[in-house]
Amino acid sequence: MQNAKDTFYLTLRNRLATVNPARTMTLRSVTRPGILVEDAEAFTAQPQLDAFTLRWTGLAADLHLPAILTQMTCEIHYITAGTQPNAGLDRGRVLERMDYELLQLLYPYMAQKMNYTQSPAAAMSTQVFWSEPEFSPAVTDHDRLSRVAKVTVFAFQEPSES
Amino acid sequence: MADLSTQNPCGLAQRVATALLRASGGTSACLQMPPLPGDSSDTRQIGLDAPGFLSLPLSPAVFRKARATLQDGQLPKYELLISADAVVAQVAQLKLSSAQALFAQACGVVVAGKLFLIEAVSSSESQGTAYLYRLLLQEATGEWAM
Repeated sequence: MQNAKDTFYLTLRNRLATVNPARTMTLRSVTRPGILVEDAEAFTAQPQLDAFTLRWTGLAADLHLPAILTQMTCEIHYITAGTQPNAGLDRGRVLERMDYELLQLLYPYMAQKMNYTQSPAAAMSTQVFWSEPEFSPAVTDHDRLSRVAKVTVFAFQEPSES
Repeated sequence: MADLSTQNPCGLAQRVATALLRASGGTSACLQMPPLPGDSSDTRQIGLDAPGFLSLPLSPAVFRKARATLQDGQLPKYELLISADAVVAQVAQLKLSSAQALFAQACGVVVAGKLFLIEAVSSSESQGTAYLYRLLLQEATGEWAM
């Protein structure tokens, strides 16, 4: 399952670098595309603005198939306070831009499953695929606007993963 | 109307704060900083490799339990008061733009071998220059010794 999660994150990160190279953040002394896995980063009291945060929540498994099919829920959180030149008054527009970017990141809804525990990363036998995003209503918190998109990620558990 | 009176900062407040912290049983705290230069490898971003944090000592500092009403299941909070002189020295050494940048990059604080998470940072200033930094900390859930 971890290989599927890693593949999903790194696929989205690489797509983001193409879709919007300007969406970057500096985290742990590195400037990188503005997307992160929450459980692989240090705790921060405030969420990262203008970046996509992946939070893995639900898990289900279909055991009635030749290989176990896992279904993992990934919540993609994003939050913005707008931009400095517009004094934050464009936060609605920025959130809409992030909505559209996310749609671009998720399509196509699949990727070759990779094993990143090896160096270089090795392609596995199956693919990781995911559902269309389910967007929650935008939430206003003072001068910040946020949204959560839920995606169900599917992957077959390969014999080499046990 | 703007205050146009002349004020010449002489570092008195900074020296007093440092002396006060030292006299109040000043201890040492270590900021957990990402390695410089950073590592942009995929394995670090997915939690596969150890982050290789650097331990950045700050002293004198005073560590105490914050006066907050705790609720059931809530972890206790602590305050760390740090001399601005110590912070300025580390900011200069790491060639950072400000103390805020230093604390923003920190992934936690180790005091007496225990990891704490930074909840908030504030500073006290005199004549426009910080003389004391106050970090609100929460005990990390992990019980590992640092």
